[in-house]
Order: sequence, then structure tokens, then C-alpha cells
Amino acid sequence: MRTITLSVNGEDLTVTVEPRESLADVLRERLDLTGTHLGCEHGVCGACTIEVDGKATRACLILAVMAEGRRITTIEGLRDDPVAAVLRRHFHEQHALQCGFCTPGMLIMARDLLNRSTPSSEKDVREGLAGQMCRCTGYAGIVRAVLAAADETTSTRSPTP
Amino acid sequence: MKPAPFDYVRAKSLGEALAALGDDAMPLAGGQSLLPLLGLRMASARLLVDIGHLDELRQSSATDATVTLGAAVTHAEIEDGRVPDPGHGLMRSIARKLAYRAVRNQGTIGGSVAMADPAADWPACLVALGATARIAGPDGERRVAVTDLIEDIYTTSLVPGEIIVSFDIPRLHAAAKTGTAKVMRKTGAFAMSFVVAVLHDGDQADRIVLAGAGRRAERLAETSDAVAAGMDEAALRAAVAADLAGLMDAPDDYAVRLHTAVVLRALAEARRS
Amino acid sequence: MVEHAGGWIGASLLRKEDARHLLGAGAFVADLKLRGLRDVAFVRSDVAHGVLTAVHKPDDAATRVFTAEDLAWVNVLEAGPELAAFRSGPYPPFASGKVRYVGQPVAACVAQNRAHAEDLAERVSVEIDALPAVIDCVDALAPDAARLFDGWPDNAFITSRVTEGDPASLAAAPIRLHRRLRMNRQATVSLECRGIVAHYDARLDELVIHLSTQGPHVMRRGFAMALGLPEHKIRVIAPDVGGGFGGKNRMMPEELAIAAIAMKVPYPVRWIEDRREHLIASVHAREHVYDLTISADTSGVLLGIEGDVFVDAGAYALWPSGPFMETSMAARNLPGPYRIRHLDIRTHTVATNKAPLGPYRGVGRPGACFAIERLVDEVAHALGREPIDIRRLNMVTSAELPYDTAGGLRFDTGDYPAALETAIERIGFSAVRARQKTGEPDGRVIGVGIAFYSEQSGHGMAEWTKRKSRVVPGYESARVRMLPDGSVVIHVGVQNHGQGHETSLAQIAAHELGLDPDRISIRYGDTATAPFGFGTFASRSIVFSGGAVARSCRMIVEKLRLIGAHLLQATPDAVRIEHGRVLSATGSVSFAEIAAAASIRQELLPDGVEPLLEVVSTYEPTDSRGVFSYGTHAAVVAVEPETGEVEILDYVVAEDCGTMINPLIVDGQIQGGIAQGIGTALYEEIPFSDLGQPLATTFADYMVPGASEIPAVDIAHACTPALVTEYGVKGMGEGGAIAPPAALANAIADAFRDIGVRIDETPLTPRRVSDAVAAARSAHAAQPSEAAS
Repeated sequence: MRTITLSVNGEDLTVTVEPRESLADVLRERLDLTGTHLGCEHGVCGACTIEVDGKATRACLILAVMAEGRRITTIEGLRDDPVAAVLRRHFHEQHALQCGFCTPGMLIMARDLLNRSTPSSEKDVREGLAGQMCRCTGYAGIVRAVLAAADETTSTRSPTP
Repeated sequence: MKPAPFDYVRAKSLGEALAALGDDAMPLAGGQSLLPLLGLRMASARLLVDIGHLDELRQSSATDATVTLGAAVTHAEIEDGRVPDPGHGLMRSIARKLAYRAVRNQGTIGGSVAMADPAADWPACLVALGATARIAGPDGERRVAVTDLIEDIYTTSLVPGEIIVSFDIPRLHAAAKTGTAKVMRKTGAFAMSFVVAVLHDGDQADRIVLAGAGRRAERLAETSDAVAAGMDEAALRAAVAADLAGLMDAPDDYAVRLHTAVVLRALAEARRS
Repeated sequence: MVEHAGGWIGASLLRKEDARHLLGAGAFVADLKLRGLRDVAFVRSDVAHGVLTAVHKPDDAATRVFTAEDLAWVNVLEAGPELAAFRSGPYPPFASGKVRYVGQPVAACVAQNRAHAEDLAERVSVEIDALPAVIDCVDALAPDAARLFDGWPDNAFITSRVTEGDPASLAAAPIRLHRRLRMNRQATVSLECRGIVAHYDARLDELVIHLSTQGPHVMRRGFAMALGLPEHKIRVIAPDVGGGFGGKNRMMPEELAIAAIAMKVPYPVRWIEDRREHLIASVHAREHVYDLTISADTSGVLLGIEGDVFVDAGAYALWPSGPFMETSMAARNLPGPYRIRHLDIRTHTVATNKAPLGPYRGVGRPGACFAIERLVDEVAHALGREPIDIRRLNMVTSAELPYDTAGGLRFDTGDYPAALETAIERIGFSAVRARQKTGEPDGRVIGVGIAFYSEQSGHGMAEWTKRKSRVVPGYESARVRMLPDGSVVIHVGVQNHGQGHETSLAQIAAHELGLDPDRISIRYGDTATAPFGFGTFASRSIVFSGGAVARSCRMIVEKLRLIGAHLLQATPDAVRIEHGRVLSATGSVSFAEIAAAASIRQELLPDGVEPLLEVVSTYEPTDSRGVFSYGTHAAVVAVEPETGEVEILDYVVAEDCGTMINPLIVDGQIQGGIAQGIGTALYEEIPFSDLGQPLATTFADYMVPGASEIPAVDIAHACTPALVTEYGVKGMGEGGAIAPPAALANAIADAFRDIGVRIDETPLTPRRVSDAVAAARSAHAAQPSEAAS
């Protein structure tokens, strides 16, 4: 076991972990941040997607000890994020979620997509979200929501840092 | 799906990493291939030595002739053009279609080569570009062509204690033409067939490199020669079939159709480029 | 909220469920944290079939490892239909005597967290003497096949026969086409895997089970019978459930084991299924083989179908229903919407050394639809006719409804040919035909395919007793409680897991009560608070639970009227109810005032009226044979003939599910169902090695389609209300998943119809498509004159 300090959603949290523990498990089990969901634990489904140093990252494919000293943002840390807020509204209006299990990872990836570029076509959005599985919606509402959010945020988004 | 226990050390320097890599230790960079294998308990290690942040592995540089990419450069950094592209956009375009963005943000080119998945993208690309790996080990440094470094399915000539530091990648000639083609079961999945074609690269021979068929990415010798000789499609198809017969144990009809089509697609793209 | 112009019924109200999920604040089973919680990892058989000779616990951890011996006290549940001819082997939580599939639980290991539990599981050694594995459901019936269960005369759970009309007459039919079709095995893949947390609550003296399930009440009954506990000492709580699709509606050995262990240890125990476990050992689905002959006359009139349907049901029957429904529904749906009057189908529900088969969105019908709709296209091809013309010729018309099919289904209302024509028009059928003539510049080949589906829903006692179901889900319940401030909490027995019940059922209540849906909460998923109900499956919730909510609300309204009239000093028949108030000619009183009187100011009540505004009622449609949603799917694909890649260029649905309560949710169900159907059609498969090893055990091998693989579907609605349900609703949750394998297979076959390609197996992977095209090309080249005729 080792004690590490993780910067999570702007707060430094000290936690004792085994080196083998994934960041996803530590966020969920030790820090009670359960908005990061686990759908496959091998990097394919995208449900656990979070941000590490501003980059979308599979929380199941990074050890907590690797994340020490890096800036971690989970869905819980995006309550007041303006781009996430726009996405949330459009997800709601476009019926872009059903069971809700994929939703946190989907939102984080969609936000990442918007922050990096302006997806102008449906194809861009679909490829950008290809690593985020949704088993309920068939993606149509999600794609509509992201395109609508892209439209709305084009003028307000800050360029990639 | 949790890994067996291991210890972890974040090396402060390449030297420290090399010193830490003793018996049953593994270097860990982005972890995008290694961590799933550990989680599935298909691989295990006593110690993981984190090398993903080491300056020596993160640096890239370029001369007129060669681009050097640190082994811990991520797929996303290549995709975003944050490092020089010796292929005049070839590497960026390959990176863009490799797995998923969230994986590309952490996964590294060196990790991909070290894993030596026979269907992976970077080995095929680096073989096509004639890249050489610079490898640090307990006995000093060695250089080996990527085409020789990868020996077999999931097998390289790396010995325990060695780390890929960087790749020296010759720049393509300004007039070179490149094309890629990939058939996947779905977007982001590993390739069923992946071809990188490099044509008219100065005085270099044409290179048609195929991944997903044999035990490792390999240049299709007969195909490449047939392309260079300007042979027609029927002759090309025969050449691909001959190469596949050498590459695979008894390729079935579908394998021949699939890989032939992908070769032709990559060639068409190269000729259009 | 703004009321829809036509009222709450039919309003595309945005979902109440969304807010928590959009914040990552949903509460799924794995999110629950209980003090002292321990995790479980299972030791599973790595052999498909064998004699289990020994399980060795590590000496230092014997009390944390549980085997069949430790759970010998758990009662085995009898599963499957209540038919004497149905055989069922005992399925205890842990393998005992024999193992019968790779992944079958052998022992459970308890530790401080999952990683440590897996460490412990690695130290449990299991000795198995391997036996020959039975992996093909047709070969399994051969006399010399290895047997899963001693004492069974063959490997069939049940062999049955569906006959109708005069099948003997078919022998003389001018067109008789024999085809063998196959729909392969897949997983259900809810994005949230299964999960359970169980503990014994000493204060309440009850076993509390948090379970990711589609039906907590029925599961409680299963737990009670298996654990020998009275039901009042078991509480099952289903929190947010991250998808089910059928896969979370059976009693599974892991869940039984966790509940049993929780009774014996002084701490909560948890098992969260991981994805590998899900793919290997959760409910598997589909795996049908059809060996059929369709008969037609030379004008294209379809006469009958004969042959065999095999369903590979895996090693055990899952409680309660077992696998027979899969087979019988496949057989009974084989005639599709066509006037096929002669039927002779032998059905075989076969035990193999694979994980047990369970329900998955569509149950039986995706296979049946694939079979009949492929056969219709084959008949058209044999006659040189357009497939749409054969459909037009044979499809039951609205004038013929209600129509009793040869399969024993009673189609109720609708206009099936209209759905066909709408789909033909929306897909641009003739434009596709024109485009096919010009060819594609990229060498791909275009095809268009059509498939019709119908979806029985709202079926109650009549249908389930006919199926000999040991649990008869013939009704649903709703408890409506108006609180002293006039707001409303409604407890229902169905289980929302993405269907939007918190919204759609609130719309129904809002409609009945004249309240804003914001004043209404829908609660479910807790046996301690909800009245008994059967859960969410079989496209039943909107019909049954919607009906129960409506009925209970109406009873509340009557009491509101009675009390309100008294408060207004009017007679009950002289008042009306609007927007949360009772109005008389001279005044009005709010529900809040009435509810306060009913709850905390009894002196205001009329004589003889009991306090409280609370009603429990149940509902079943007046005809319990079911109401049928239906529709036509049409797809255009581009096929790369060498690689076999298939791209869906266009996808259209013309459907009719009766009255829509919430069209937004209906469209979401259709689009989502189609995504799953496309998965079945093109991507998802769990193949097995000859030794019975599953070969798709991670998402690297098991392909779940992503955003790039699923097109946005063009949906056209018609609305023919049902006659026997509240508001004329029909269930529609499964229909989207039924027709895509048929529509896409027909489209791929259409692309190469000139060379007579055989498209007869799903998923249509690049390899299967390319192989089929190559085979047809070489046959065509060998016999050019015949094939060109």
C-alpha cells in the first residue's frame, strides 16, 4: 500500500492505495466518486472516461499511482462547466440517454470533442464518439445533441490550451 | 477483472528505470495495452517501472533526413501534429484511426511496438518508413530496424531490462506517395487487415506493408516489386497471393480476397496522393 | 412544464430521469457503499463438460471460500414451463457432480475487495475430468451424442410440434424451397453488467438484496423459495439499472450464491459482474437453426412452411421460464404477417455445453422474422418477382383483422400493407433499383431489403397460461398516494431501466388527475414499498403498468370528487375536476386542501368517508391474448464484395404501436432497438471452439456496434389504437430489435440477387458476406445459363 495525493476536481485528496488499483477503482471505491462507471475494464466501452491533465482518458486504463501529480477531472467536477452545461441541456432535449450508464463518459468525450474542434458533420461526431458505447439509444439522439451543442458553443468555446 | 498485485515505481531518469528493470519487471508507458492484459491476468509482473514521463522518451527532434520520435510520444500527439511527421502526414492519418481518442491520449508509439500485436498500426507504419529503434539496456544502447525488432506474434528481440527510447524515422522523399487502408470489424477495433503503401520514395524501393495477416507486420516483397515494375492488377493479385502464402500458414480464400483488396485500396490511395 | 396541446397523453415530455444521470449522480448497484462490505469473485469451470472431482480451498482461507458443499442447503428451483414433457436438470448455485459449461460457477471467494477476491480465487484448485463437449444443437440430438444429463433419452429439454391446416397438401405445391438458416449465439450486453449486494439486516430480521434486475418482486419469490425464507423476510431493491434487455430477468446462480452467503456471514457481500464474466456466463441469446421448406404456388401465393426449428438453449433452464418460450415463439411467429395456412414445424429446445439461454429483446422473433422474411425473398427470387410484390400479395389486410394466424396468434388492429407501402416509399425503392442499374463508382454493390415484424404485447393470463408459464404475469399494479399537500407518489411493480417510466407513467397520472407531471413521482424497484408486480419485459409496461396507474388514479379522482364536493357544499355529480382543483358552480377547492382534509383534518370529511387518499389497484387488458405493434423495416446497404464490408446507407421504419404516450420515448425505443438488431445482424457473436470454449470473451472480440456503425433511422408512425387497452396503447419496446437481421440480410442478398447469393446466417460478418458472394460467383460462373435464367 502506498499513500498518494490525487488532484481531483480541483481538490487535493490523500488516499492509500495498492499500486495495482486503477484510477477508476480508486475514484469509485476510495473517493466515493461513483459517476465514473465501469462497463468493461479493458478500455473499449468508454463508460469510465474522465480527464487527466485535460485529456480524455480511460480511468480503467490508468493506475491511480500513475495519476499522482496529474490533474483529474470527473463528471462530478463538471457541474459548473459551461460546455458540459450546454451538452446536458441538448442531451436532455434530444433524448440522448435512456438507462444513463454510458452518460457520464459520453458527456466527457463529447465535451472533449467540442473543446478540440468544431465537429461540423454527423460523421465527425460519430467518429469522435466511436469509443463510447451506448446500448440503449442507438446513438441518434446523442449525435443530434452534440451537433446542436457544437452549433451553440462555437462562439463561446476557448481554443485548445 | 483486476490485476494480480505488483509494485510500481516511477523512474526519475532513464538510468533509474534501467536499474529498476530487473527480474520480472516490466516497463510501463501509457499502459493502454499492458494494463488490460494485467487486468485479465493474461500477463503479470512483480514490478512496473513507469517510464511514460521520462524526458528521454518524450523528446522528438528532426533533421533534414530524419525525424526522431521518443518512444513515449502518444498517438494523440502524432494525430495532433505536435511532433514532426516524417511521412508528410502519413503518421497523422494513421494515428487518427487508431483505437479511440481517449486511448490515443495515453497510448504510446513505443508501447505499441513493444507489444508487437500482429494487427497493430505502428509496426506496419514504421516498417514501411524504414524506422530504426534506439534501445537502451543494461549493457548500453543498441539500434535495430523495427522490421527486425519485431520477431513474431507478441514477440520482440527486446530482452528483459531493455527499453525502447526512440525511433529514428527517415523522412520520405518530397515526391513520395503514400496510402493506407484498413478493414476493421468496427471503427476503432484492431485491423483485420491493414496496409501501408509507400511509393516513389526517392531511390528507395517501394514498400507495401501488411499487418493483420501474418505473425507480424511485413513488407510484401513480391507485391512491392510488382508495384515498382508497374504490373497490371492481375499480376498484382498474383503477387499478393504469393506473398500471403509465405506470410501465413495456408491462407484461406477469404484471407486472400481481404488482404488483396486492402492492398489495392492502399495503392489506389497512394497513387491519388 | 408546458402542457401539450392535446394533453399529457401524446406529449413528447422531456424525461424526468435525465437530470441525475447527466450529473453522474445516478445510483447503480455498484455505487452502493455499505459498512464492512466484502467483494466476491467466482471460481468458474474452465471446462465445458466434465466430472467435477474436487474443489480444494486454501487452508488459510477456508472460511472465505464457499462451494457446492457449503450451499447444499439451498433449494433447487424448478424451472421451465409446467409441461410434463419438459425436462430440466437441477441448477444449483455451484456446480455439483458435473460442470456443464465454461464459466459455470464452482466456488465463491470473499475478500476485502475484488482484487483480493480474485487473488483468492486463483488459489482455489478445481479438478475436472473432461467429457466430450456438446456444442452443436443439431448434432446434439444424434443418438450417439454425449449426454449432458444422465437419464435423459436425448439432449432435448423438450421436443414439440406446431401444426395447422393441411401440411400434407404442401407436397404437391409447385414451388418448394428448402433453406437452412442460422442466427448465432450472442450476449445481451447491458452496459452495466449484472450486480448484487446482499446483507442480513439484524434490526429488521430480513435479508436485504440490492440487485440489478428487471423484476425485483418475482426475484424475491425466487430467492425465498431457494433460500427457504418467508418472503416477508426478504427485501429486494433494484436501484438504477443500467440496461437489461432481458438479460436481468432470470434467477442466476451467482445472485443466488451471494444471497445465500449473505445469510451466513456478518457483513454485506457484493458481486459486480465484470465484462468477461458477462460475455462468458451471463444470459446468452438467440442461437436458432431453421431447417425449413416454404411452399408457394406459381403466382407467388405462399402456402405453408414445414421443417424444424432448433434452439441451442445451453446447459440449464433458468428460473422461472426456462428456454422453451424462445422456441415456441419462434415457431408460432414463423408465418409472419402472411396468409400462410399450412404449418408443420417440429421444435427442438436443445441442451448443450454452453451458458444457459435467456430472453433478449425480441425473444424468438428476430430469428423467426429472419427466417420467414428471407424465405419470402427466396420465393420472389425463384419466381423472378420483386420481393415487395410477393409481400403485397400475401400480407393480411386491415379488412381481415382481427386475424388468427396459423401460429395461433390473433392480430388485432392496424394496416399492415400501409406500413409496407410507407417503407417502400420512404426508402425510395424504385430509386434504389435505378441506382443499381448504373452501378457504384467504388465497386461496391447496392442492395435494398424489406422486413415486416409484429410484436405481441400486453398479453396477459390467456397467453401466459397457454405457454404453461409457472409465473403468470397477467396484470400490473399501482399504488397511488396523494400526500397532504396534494402532490402524488405512485409506486409501481414494473422496473424502469431506461424506458422512461418515471416520465411516461407520470404523464398518464397527470392526464387522469389533471395535475402537472412535476407534482407526481413514480417510484419502483423496492419490494418493501411497491405492490407486487412482475417487472419490465415483453413490452408490457406501458400497457399493464400504464393501465394500473390510470385505474388507481381514477379511483383517487372519485374520492377527490366526493370530498371536494362536500367541502364545496355541492353534490359529487355537480362538480368537475380541472388543473388540480375540484370546481362547483360557485367555487373551487384545490387538491391540496382536499388532501389535507383527507390526511390531517378528518373533521372536514363527509360522513362515512375514510381518511387518506391512497389506492392500490391492478390492471389487465380486457382481452389478454395481446395487442400487436407492427411495422416494416427497409434498409439500403452497400457491400464491398471482396472484403465483405457492409455499410448501411439508409434505414427506414414505418411502424404502428397504437396510441403513443410519449413519442420522444417511442422513437428512442425504436432507434435503440434497431441498434441492437443491427448488432445481431452484422456484429455480435459468441462462437465456440470444438471443446466448448467461448471465443469472444472481451470487447476486443465481441463487437458491439458504435456510433459509426448505427445510422440515424427514419421513422414513420401510423396510429391504430388497440381496442382492449387504456388509451389504445400497445407495447413497443422490442420491435426495433426484431426486424434488422431480416431487413439487412435481405438487402445484402438483394445486392447479389443476379448471381443467387445465399445469405443464411447472422451475424453477417465481412467473412461470411465475402464467402457467400465468392461461392455464388463461382457457382454462377460454372453454370452461367441456368443462373441467368
